[in-house]
Amino acid sequence: MITGMDRLVAAINGKTSDRIPVFCNLLDQGAKELGVSLKEYYLNGEHVAEAQLRMREKYGYDNVWSLFYVGKEAEVLGCGKIAFANDGPPNVEDFVIKTYDDIEKLQVPDDISGHPAFQEPLKCLRILKREVGGKYPICAYITASMTLPAILMGMDRWMELLLIGPADVRDALLTKCSDFFRKEITAYRNAGADVLVYSNPFGSTDFISMKLFKELSLPWMERDLKPVGSQGVVYYCGSARFNNVIEQVIERLGISVFYLSPMDDIVEGKKIIAGRGLCCGVINDIKLIDWSKEDIRNEVRRMVDQGMPGGRFLFGTLVMPYAIPEENIRAMLEAAYEFGRYGKAE
Amino acid sequence: MLAQVIKAYNEAIFDTDRDRALAVVRQAVDSGVSPEDIIFKVVIPAIELMIKSISENFDANLAQHFMTSQIAAEVTEQMIPRFKKSPEIVGRVVIGNASGDFHGLGKRIVIGCLKALMIDVTDLGLNVPPERFVDEAIAHNAEVIGISSMMVHTARGENGCLKVRQILKGRNLEDTIKIAVGGAPYRFDHELYKIVQADAWAENGITAGKVITDLIREVRK
Repeated sequence: MITGMDRLVAAINGKTSDRIPVFCNLLDQGAKELGVSLKEYYLNGEHVAEAQLRMREKYGYDNVWSLFYVGKEAEVLGCGKIAFANDGPPNVEDFVIKTYDDIEKLQVPDDISGHPAFQEPLKCLRILKREVGGKYPICAYITASMTLPAILMGMDRWMELLLIGPADVRDALLTKCSDFFRKEITAYRNAGADVLVYSNPFGSTDFISMKLFKELSLPWMERDLKPVGSQGVVYYCGSARFNNVIEQVIERLGISVFYLSPMDDIVEGKKIIAGRGLCCGVINDIKLIDWSKEDIRNEVRRMVDQGMPGGRFLFGTLVMPYAIPEENIRAMLEAAYEFGRYGKAE
Repeated sequence: MLAQVIKAYNEAIFDTDRDRALAVVRQAVDSGVSPEDIIFKVVIPAIELMIKSISENFDANLAQHFMTSQIAAEVTEQMIPRFKKSPEIVGRVVIGNASGDFHGLGKRIVIGCLKALMIDVTDLGLNVPPERFVDEAIAHNAEVIGISSMMVHTARGENGCLKVRQILKGRNLEDTIKIAVGGAPYRFDHELYKIVQADAWAENGITAGKVITDLIREVRK
């Protein structure tokens, strides 16, 4: 039987299997799957692992996630208040950094794997590794040093510090965030994560100018990744576009998997990557809430038609909103499986 | 002289160079340019220029939006006390993040622009319950309620814009108070503002200035 890992490895190596790899990022939907509230769901790593396995089995896509919610990283760094909703992802409610003095006080744990806030994700990872390790890629989500401050102090205050704040304070915070990144990626690798999604909206020129990208983002990304290597690392800027920095990311960081924005041009992205890595075309999944099945089918076909020629293509989603009807999730996946079959669409 | 000031200020704004922008303003005032001209002929046209650039598909980034708005607000705050007579307020707005939403960047960009456009703006903060949006709008005599949402569930949820609309309807305030929405979900679904029953949406914090000004005019008509 061909597994998700077989499909992913084939696509990375420019080979074919039965179809293109399809990554579907269902997180909060796990609570619905188990019939519990989101708050209860995220309290226990066994819940998350069980739901991830069930949803992958039910829908047939190719990946599973160890990510609970983005604010988990803030919890490891001292955030004590997360706001849970009934219909969407939990959010950081209380920022760890309220004044610049708090930056000095910020403690990066020596041993992330032993940190209480990391225990449930670790439990989840161990179960995923035991059940589907080697068969289905296990994804982990790790925020880059340039972006992590946004969940520690709020996006607006980070933007202010970055653009007009004291450079020594900014760099002190970035150093701590980069140290945290290195420890976190190592902890995830040790626990069995295969696909390390390196999340960095500040690595996109939708967020900052090209000048700032070159002067700050690139050097800090190099600091993040140089000692730990880019093996298994996926370049991802949330929903922000990044086709125009791919060349520099390949040259300077050695990353070879690119998880585009739904707003990026897939054809252009593939042209820039030019066979040096895997291009992941990402659907605008917010539209999946209201699109008809025909709309969904047409959009998936359009994306696959653009991405499949020449191989090294993966079809993916962002973090799927909770409100997407199950039948629309199925419609998207069925279309991706159908149009993404090798030997048919090409 | 003024043409040089405008050019130098616009260049500083597009380079996100706050110190240079403020220095341009300082030198201009020292050389005899009036505070009124600084606001109405330099700062506001710079915002309008960015709105025009964005509408013509110029890829302004978030940092440029942020700096344009923050510098504009800062200069406005410095210049208004020096005006010969107090400027006329264009309108009043209350703005906040939807219930459950803690992402304040977009709101902050909007607030900076509105201040420079001589709109009186009250920041209701993050995670604002729908009832409070309406109560504060009435208390401040606001023509527009601005609701910012970074996440799909806070944009579409029952305690977001939909509930604000329901309350406005229930209190018969729909003709006197309009709703503007903005944030990431609206950029990824341009029809979403209709689904959540807002009167208008803005693609980003800078264009929100124009969208909100238009709504104020509609109410005041």
